[in-house]
Amino acid sequence: MSSTQHTSREDLTLYSMQALTPAEYAEVKAHLETCAACRGALAEELADVALIGLSAPQQALPDGARQRFLATIANTPQASGPVAGTAPAALPMPAGKQKGGLGWFGWVTAVAALAVACYLGYHSFDLQQQLDANRRQIVQLSAQASRAQELVDALTSPEAKQVTLTETKRPAQPIGHATYLKKTGALIFVASNLRPVPPSKTYELWLIPANGKAPMPAGLFRPDATGSASVVLPPLPAGIEAKAFGVTVEEAQGSPTPTLPIVMTGQ
Amino acid sequence: MPESPSNPNAPAPRSFDRDAGSSIVEDLGLLQEIQSGSQNAMAVFFDRYSRMVYSVALRVLNDPSEAEDVMQEIFVQIWQNPGAFVAGRGSLGGWLVVVTRNRAVDKLRRRKPSDPVELFALPSSTNLAQEMEQAFLLEKIRAAMTKLPEEQRKSVELAFFEGLSHSEIAGKTGEPLGTIKTRIRLALIAIRKELSV
Repeated sequence: MSSTQHTSREDLTLYSMQALTPAEYAEVKAHLETCAACRGALAEELADVALIGLSAPQQALPDGARQRFLATIANTPQASGPVAGTAPAALPMPAGKQKGGLGWFGWVTAVAALAVACYLGYHSFDLQQQLDANRRQIVQLSAQASRAQELVDALTSPEAKQVTLTETKRPAQPIGHATYLKKTGALIFVASNLRPVPPSKTYELWLIPANGKAPMPAGLFRPDATGSASVVLPPLPAGIEAKAFGVTVEEAQGSPTPTLPIVMTGQ
Repeated sequence: MPESPSNPNAPAPRSFDRDAGSSIVEDLGLLQEIQSGSQNAMAVFFDRYSRMVYSVALRVLNDPSEAEDVMQEIFVQIWQNPGAFVAGRGSLGGWLVVVTRNRAVDKLRRRKPSDPVELFALPSSTNLAQEMEQAFLLEKIRAAMTKLPEEQRKSVELAFFEGLSHSEIAGKTGEPLGTIKTRIRLALIAIRKELSV
């Protein structure tokens, strides 16, 4: 490893598990600070490492763990925003009449006040529920809008690279069109007239980096009955300069490296 | 790579890709409510992920009390600063598993918490919120682990659950360092492949 060379996948795996020696660890850490591609690769490694964690047998929480946690946060202020655990202060009792009876008027007033309080409390709870639901909906819509905007940006940006891919040996037939925006790593690939692939196989799209590094898998796809298929916004790291795009036929689960021949290519 | 959601004839998606987007949106919604001080949202979030977090911590520490401490520490951190993850996005479930494992290993090895991987957002294709509700997927992961060649599975478990470095594993097993590295990497590839079938 050196800070000018990319970190190997093996070392990124070990880094993600903190299983490197301290010297190796420091070297990888320094490289990651300056290499977006390796940070992207590390994120993928972490995702795979997380799978190992899920192989742990699922255990029930100890008795009272949930209550202990809720009690803890009730008394733990957040870094910013409202301070948790500050219940509204109780209204002070009037100075007099603390020991005396309420009397007829007092009881009627108290019952009426209780009824109003119950109504308002219920109404308030109902409104809070609606508010919570609305908040969730806003967040969902925002996320959807954000994705849609990313899609539109990638399709319409003058910086987007427009590439038409054709079958290597028979250029007139299957056609693929890739739209790629380097700064966000957004890729949209649309293909038509594709030949069917057996159930055990799939097409795999590849981004071939301009820096000469290994092709990056950019999504699996199978043609529909009309021979059309698409890959929309596969999780590619941002900032990778694409030299070309290619398509190979792989086993159904896909492959980390392309298997020759490249059946479609374009740059 | 994940399948394109827009391809109607795409092969069955990998289990981890299923509804990942909607789970992330739900998680983000919860985190934003937590950020605004909602203890109810924090309780929902805790219910969604606590069992997973506790199970990983217990597997590493083998001590229910210490595992609960790690779990509490992680969820209190999220309560105190939910914005840290809102900004990062990505797979919250995967992030929680990795952070839990690292905290538990730090505790196991009595070392200071040092967790730079916490800064990384995991790809959204590995969101775990939905999957955690699907016991079959967990079974699939465990089955994938048991299908690994013994030496690969052992190397991965020593690294992940016992927090041993590759040189410590090499010393323990008498194998060369390079072999250990390759075994761990091959094990991860095999598990991912198994899940994508």
